Amino acid sequence: MAKQIKKPGKVEEPDLLPAMGLFTILIPMLLTMTAFSKLAIVEVNLPERSMMNLDNETPPEPDQQALNLSLAITSDYLVIGARGGFQPNVYFKEMWTFRCKSDAKLVTYAMDDVKATVESGHGPKCKDGSEMDKEKYLYEIETIELWAINKESEEDPGRVIWALYSNGGSAEEPAADSAYVDGNNNFIALPGEGTLGLTPPPALKKPAAGVALATLTPNSARTLKPDVAAKNIIYPLSAYDLIAKDLIAIHTQFIDLEDVDNIIIVANDDTQFDKIIQLMDRSKEAGFTKINLAKLGG
Amino acid sequence: MARKTRKYSEDVPFSLTSMMDMMTIILVFMIKNMDAEGQLLTQAENLILPISTSKVQPKTVSLTVVVDANYVIADNEKVVPTADVIAQEDLLVTKLDEILKDRRAIEQEHALKMGLPADEAGNIIVQIDKNIPYDAMYKVMATCGFSGYTNIAFAVMQKNGGEE
Repeated sequence: MAKQIKKPGKVEEPDLLPAMGLFTILIPMLLTMTAFSKLAIVEVNLPERSMMNLDNETPPEPDQQALNLSLAITSDYLVIGARGGFQPNVYFKEMWTFRCKSDAKLVTYAMDDVKATVESGHGPKCKDGSEMDKEKYLYEIETIELWAINKESEEDPGRVIWALYSNGGSAEEPAADSAYVDGNNNFIALPGEGTLGLTPPPALKKPAAGVALATLTPNSARTLKPDVAAKNIIYPLSAYDLIAKDLIAIHTQFIDLEDVDNIIIVANDDTQFDKIIQLMDRSKEAGFTKINLAKLGG
Repeated sequence: MARKTRKYSEDVPFSLTSMMDMMTIILVFMIKNMDAEGQLLTQAENLILPISTSKVQPKTVSLTVVVDANYVIADNEKVVPTADVIAQEDLLVTKLDEILKDRRAIEQEHALKMGLPADEAGNIIVQIDKNIPYDAMYKVMATCGFSGYTNIAFAVMQKNGGEE
C-alpha cells in the first residue's frame, strides 16, 4: 500500500490581539509620563534680609587677600575683574538666530542689522523670502550667539575669530558644540577675512583623524576618530568660550583663596536673560558655585 | 474565451504582525523617554526658557513666579504688566511684594504648626522668558528677596532635552 504523504500544514500565526490590547493601554499611559523636554533649575542665593540692612554700621574693610571676582557684560564686550583690576575686554558681535515658521529653517542675522530692518518698517527675512512679524520677532529668537571679534583698537570694527568646533547638530543644520584647544590650551582659531572677518580664513583647516585635541572640559583630551573629524566644523568662536577658558584658569590659579568659588555677574539693564544664564553656566562649569548678580553702574 | 472570475469567497486574515512591530518601536521609545520620578516643575505658557547645561532638579514644590513678555504672574495670577516693571524706577515691585509676603506668612504659619523652623529662607522658582531684559529680572529677583524668598532658582530647559 502506498504510504500517504503528509501535506505540510498551514503555519498558523499566533493570536496577537491580546498583545495589541495591552499595547493600546500601555502607549497612552506612557505618553502621559513621557518628558520630551526636561526642565532644570539654576540656583542663585541672595543675602538674607537681615544681612542686607547695614544699620548704619561702617562697611567692613575690603579683604586684600580676597579674589573679589566679577564678570561684567555690556552690549559690546565681556570683561573679568578681580582685586580692583580688569583683564582685557573680550569684544563680541551679537548674532540672533531665528527659526522661521514659514519654512522651519534657521536664519542668522547680526542684532544691529535686525534692529535696522525693523526700524525701516519690515521684519527680518526668512530664507524663503517671507518676513517675520516685526512686532513679535524678538520672541522668536532661537539662539543668541556672541561671536568673538579681534580688535586692534577701540575704533577698529574688528574681525570675527573663526575656530574649530565639534558639531552638535546634523549635517544639514550644523551647530557649534565644543571648541577644541591644542596641547598648549589655545583655541584652534584665526581671524576671518573680508569685511568684518565674516569669511572663514582659508588657513584654518579642519584637522584630520588621528590628531590629539581637547575641549575646555577637564580630561577631554582625545585622538580624533575619522567620523568625528569629518563632522567637525569651522564656526565663529564664541565669546562665552573665551571667557570660560579664562575663568577656568583663574579658578585653578587661586584655588587656595577663601572666596575662590564666588563670582558676581554684572550686567546692563537691557541684557537679555538668556545671556545671564549662559554666563552662569560657564561660571559653574569653571568651578564658581556661589553666583551673585549685580547691575552695571547701579 | 471565458473570462476567469476572481474568487471573493476566500477569507484573507488581517495581519497584525506589522502593527505589532510598529507598536513595539513606539513602546521602546516611550519607555526610554519616560520620567518615572515625575516633574516638580512644569513650564508656564507663553514663554521660552533659556537652554542651560544645568541638570539640577528642584527637590520640593515651590512657589513659582513667571515673567513673560506681557505679565508678571505669581501663583497663576497676573500681577503686573512686564512693561510696567521695566518702566518703574523703584527696585521693589509693590504688587508682587504684597502677594509674596502673604504667601510667605502662610508658609511660616504652616511651618510653625508642623513644628518646623519658620525663619528659614523661602524657596522660590522664577520662570523668565529668555528674551526678557535683565532690568525686569533684577527687579523681580530683588522683590522676591525682600519678601523673604532668598533661595531663588531660575527655571531653564536642559541642553539636548536632558540627554547625555
